Parts: sequence; C-alpha cells; structure tokens
Amino acid sequence: SLRQLREADEAAPVLRYAGRAARRKERVFVWGFCHSGALGIPSFVRPDAGWKKPRRVQPTPYRLETEEKISSAACGYGFTLLSSTTTDITKVWGMGLNKDSQLGFQRSMGDRNKGYEYVLEPSPIALPLTKPQQTRVLQVSCGRAHSLILTDSEGVFSMGNNSYGQCGRKVIEDETYSESHVIHQLKEFDSRVVQVVCGQDHSLFRTKKGAVYACGWGADGQTGLASYNITSVPTKLQGDIAGVNIVQVASYGDGCLAVSDEGDLFGWGNSEYLQLASVTETTQVNVPRHLPFKIGKIKEAACGGTGNMALTEEGNVFVWGYGILGKGPKLLETAVPEMIPPSLFGRSDFNPDIRVARIRCGLSQFAALTNRGELFVWGKNLRGCLGIGRMEDQYFPWRVTVPGEVVDVACGVDHMVSLVKSFT
Amino acid sequence: LNAAPRRPPPLHVRFLPGPADGTAAPGLVATRVPVLAEHHLVTGPRFRRLKMGAGHRLDTKASGVMVLGIGHGNKLLTDLYNCHLSKVYTVGGLFGKATDDFSDTGKLVEKTTFDHITREKLERILAVIQGTNHKALLMYSNIDMKTQEAYEMAVKGLIRPMGKSPPIITVIRCLQFALPEFQLEIHCLHETQQYLRKIVHEIGLELKSSAVCTQVRRIRDGVFTLDDALLRTQWNLQSIQNAIWDCQLKVKTEIERTLA
Repeated sequence: SLRQLREADEAAPVLRYAGRAARRKERVFVWGFCHSGALGIPSFVRPDAGWKKPRRVQPTPYRLETEEKISSAACGYGFTLLSSTTTDITKVWGMGLNKDSQLGFQRSMGDRNKGYEYVLEPSPIALPLTKPQQTRVLQVSCGRAHSLILTDSEGVFSMGNNSYGQCGRKVIEDETYSESHVIHQLKEFDSRVVQVVCGQDHSLFRTKKGAVYACGWGADGQTGLASYNITSVPTKLQGDIAGVNIVQVASYGDGCLAVSDEGDLFGWGNSEYLQLASVTETTQVNVPRHLPFKIGKIKEAACGGTGNMALTEEGNVFVWGYGILGKGPKLLETAVPEMIPPSLFGRSDFNPDIRVARIRCGLSQFAALTNRGELFVWGKNLRGCLGIGRMEDQYFPWRVTVPGEVVDVACGVDHMVSLVKSFT
Repeated sequence: LNAAPRRPPPLHVRFLPGPADGTAAPGLVATRVPVLAEHHLVTGPRFRRLKMGAGHRLDTKASGVMVLGIGHGNKLLTDLYNCHLSKVYTVGGLFGKATDDFSDTGKLVEKTTFDHITREKLERILAVIQGTNHKALLMYSNIDMKTQEAYEMAVKGLIRPMGKSPPIITVIRCLQFALPEFQLEIHCLHETQQYLRKIVHEIGLELKSSAVCTQVRRIRDGVFTLDDALLRTQWNLQSIQNAIWDCQLKVKTEIERTLA
C-alpha cells in the first residue's frame, strides 16, 4: 500500500560516496603515436596477450597511471618527460626514445652493462643532486634529442645529444650519446633560472632578472647571439631584448619568441615561413628583433615549427606563419597576426566570459586551454596527435573530450600529454 | 464557430410566374430568390470537423508550451519541424534520491548524501555537458569540416543537424541552487522529456550522489514562447483567433529564413 511504500522509502539506508572534504584528483592523459613508447603504456607496444596486435596510434585521450602528482610534462621528438615537485628521491620520469640518452641512462634488466634504447613505461631518471631530499624539480623541457630539467636551487640539468652544444657543455668529437651516463649541470647565470625551453637543437634559459641565455645550433640564428655558429656555453642574448625584462620565452622548432613584462613581443631565428616577415625580408634572423604588432598587450606566446601563436590580455588568440593556422582551409600563410574568432572557443551570448587562458604549440599543431578547463586543438593531425578521434587534419579549433578539467598540456611532434584535474 | 453569424444565403434569378391579378400581363417575371440548397437548415452547421495537428510531443508528467496546427497550419507544422529549431525547458531536480524512472514518483533505487555538492561543482559539470554536446552538434550536422563554408558557419554558430540525430543540448545552465533542490535551463534539439530526466540523473551520478527530476516545463518551442501560449482559462474562440493572428508573421519569417 502507499503508506507502506512511503515508510519503506524513509527507512532505506543513505549511502555516502564522497565526503564533504573530498578533493579533486590529478590525472595524466596521453594520446598520439605510441609505437616509440612515448605514451608510457607498455601494452601498446608489447601487448599482454599473444593474439593482441600492438597499437600504433592512440587517437583519443588515454589515462596514464602515475605514482606521484605530476606538475610539469614535456614532449620531445618521440619521448616524454614527466616531473613532480616532490621531495622524494625520484622526481623525474621519462619514457620513449632513448637512443641519445635523452632520458639519461636506463640500465637494462637483461644485461647490467647496457642501457635501453626504448623505454616503454615512465622510468625514474637519477639526477646527481647534492641535496636530493630538499631540491624540487620545477619544470622539464624536451627538444629533438636532448632534454633540460630545471630545479629550484641546483640550477639546470641537461642530458642527451650534444653534437651542437645544446646541452651547454663542450662538443666532443665522435662522442657516442647512446648509453651515456653524462648529465651536465649548468649553474653560471646572472640570477636563478626560472624557465627552460628546448628548441629542436638549441636551448633557451630565462633568468629571474629577465635575461635570456642560449646555446646550441645557430645556423638559423635561433641562438640569437648575432652569429650563425654553434654555441656550447649558455651566453646572454643582446639585440632588442638587452635590458628588457622578459617574462616568457617560447620555442619548439627553429624559431623563438619572447614576451616582455610590458606586453611586447620579440622574435628571432628561422623566418622562412613568414614568422618575422613583418620586420625583415631575410629568412634567418640571428639577433632578437621587436615585432611591432598592434594586437594589444601580449600575455603569452607559443612558437611552433612553421606557425606562431600569441595570447593577449583580453583572452584572444592570434596566429601567423605558415601551415594550418586555424581559420579554415583557405588561410595557409600570413605574416601579420590574424585573430581566431572567440566563438570557436565556446564564447556566445550565453557564455560571454569564456576566454583562452593558455596556449601551446607542437611542431605543426596548436593547442589552447580556456578558463573553463576545455582543451581546443587544431593543425596537422600527424599520426593522431590531436586526440580528436579522427586521423584527418583539423582546420579550426576543435574540442578534445577529456574526462576532467585540463590544467596544462604539452605538445610534441606526434603525441600530446595533458595534466587534468577530475571534476569533483 | 457555428454560432457565429453567417452571411445570408446567396440569391439567384428565377423566372417565376407573375402575380395573378388582372392588371399585369400574364407570363414569367424575373425575381431574385435565395438559393434553397444553401439555406442554413438544409446545409447544417458550417464546421463539423476541424483538421488539427500536434507539434512536438509533451509527456504526461511534463508541462509547458505545445504547438497545435489547424487546417492550413498543419502544412506549416511540417515546415517548422524541418527547420530544426531548439526548444527551451526548465528542469527542476532534487539531490539525494535515485529512482527507476528518474522522476520523483518512481520506485526508489538508492538514497545518498549530497552535502558535498556546491554550485561551483555543478556548473563545472554543466560546462562539460555543454562542451561535449557542442561537439556532437558539429559532428551530426554532416558537413565536411575541411571546407571554408563549414568554418564560416561554425564561427557564426549556425551549424546544427538538419536531419535525424540523437538528442543534443545546445545550452545548459543553472538557474537556482538551494540544496537539495536545483533548477536548470536547457536548450535542446531532437530530445524527449525522458531524456532530460535521464540527464538530471546522470548529473547526480557525476557529482558522486544521485538526483531525480521533479519538474520538466517547456518554455519555448522554436518561435513560440510562454507569452504566446494560451492558458486553460483562455481556450475560447477569440483568444485562439488572436493567438493565430499574432504568430502568423513570426512563423512565416522563420520558415523563410531557415529553409531558404
């Protein structure tokens, strides 16, 4: 009867799934080309069961289980580095290609004198720290065959290929980089280093005083040191950024961009794809030049292989260069920045306060994070690296469905890693 | 309608024999007489049946605007259906209970706590629902994403599925939030009211609790809003005629704009 049903309802037990102080969990999602082991999931390359085939491409986000909370991630050319701000001994993990020891020396389990050429799982990287239980790793960055790790009190550690001096140490003729134990420590800067950026074969360091140091290959002028030679010691950049307080540096291919605290943009390096065509006709610029774009105060810049992106204070995204820039299939190259309409990022009459909070560039892909935690990607979909589930190129910003609020994303050549917070 | 005064029956010319008095000439005189076949006692009431059609369905447990078409309006109903305009609902929900048919009158399945839910968490879930549905909107519209026209329409926000598609929510936002009750406004396409109740249930699951739907009210169906709708007390001829007259222009412009 009705009364009995009502009494049964009221007597039913109340279950509790989440407490009042339940915290949001941090997760890592990876997608893209997995054959090199760069995604860190061994069953993609070596399946658990004999009848399963190895997976070449992961086209949608896949969860990567990590032991610690990952605070910084970087994708290189076929390898990935993850780091955490913990004070434990293991602070940095690496996976993927290790033919140039860009992940340090990974001792093989079969033969104790040899190292692994491909690392399929996030494996700890042993850093030669003097105070391993006090130093914290702030940021990691990966280039084509080298990587940089930034700590808070012990400078910058570099490992990997040094044939162009990109690790900041003297170039040794005929050095074999595979299975090498060398991890170089860089400490001589004018002040503490706060950001490290790896280009394809060069490295950039930004210090607290606002100066930029560079070393590595310079044939495209990407070191910015007024010459086209190799530099093997980090040297301070002059040119238009001398005396300017730089707050952000960006690079991934052979071009570089820097943003000052007043919102000005400086660029140097490769200009074959019209990246710096607004100030010069030459295709290689080896001194930082100020880019006088009238798009407003710039908050962040990102540099890809052939295209560049800038984010202004109002939350608008501007693109220029060559490639799939994000304004449809007709716009393939421009020397002057063009704005991507904010309606593509979800701004409408019902949501007027959506703005882009962070931008990142891969080699020919672009990624933008909004303040609501949504990730938008566009560009060339090389081996499924955009994570949209399809293998075709994407000509305008498209949402990536990630089960969580995306906090940061790292773009590589053919894979991407995202740091995500769960919803509740 | 039948009690309304109607025009008098038409007249026709009949040649009838003239009045039989000695003075006038005998013969036929042309006179106008009413057509007997059109007399109201012969033809009967003018309206015996009215062709009425119904627009988008509304559940027994839901309320709100329902569009009906009369006579010629049935053809306009099919045109309006092909325009695929979105509908707006106000959905009320209650945290703490889960039932088998997702509404508060169903059989209880589970009771959970809900004191950890905040408005911020709810809005985050709603933003994600909106994002994934926006993606579905673009995908089910069957437009090739690689063309310049697709890019321009996506910028203006005009892309939507113009054929059959699963239910898609275009806008969802929280109007009121007072634990355990909350109210959402949902703009959607091709949906059913039971789908909206299921969405409320899934929002409850996503927030690590449970929710049931207490109220589904349609406040807008394409071009027809609550202001155009007639209440139960207004179901009389004059108000219906006024309502049809007011909506004519709106419907015509909308059909021309979308199906052009």
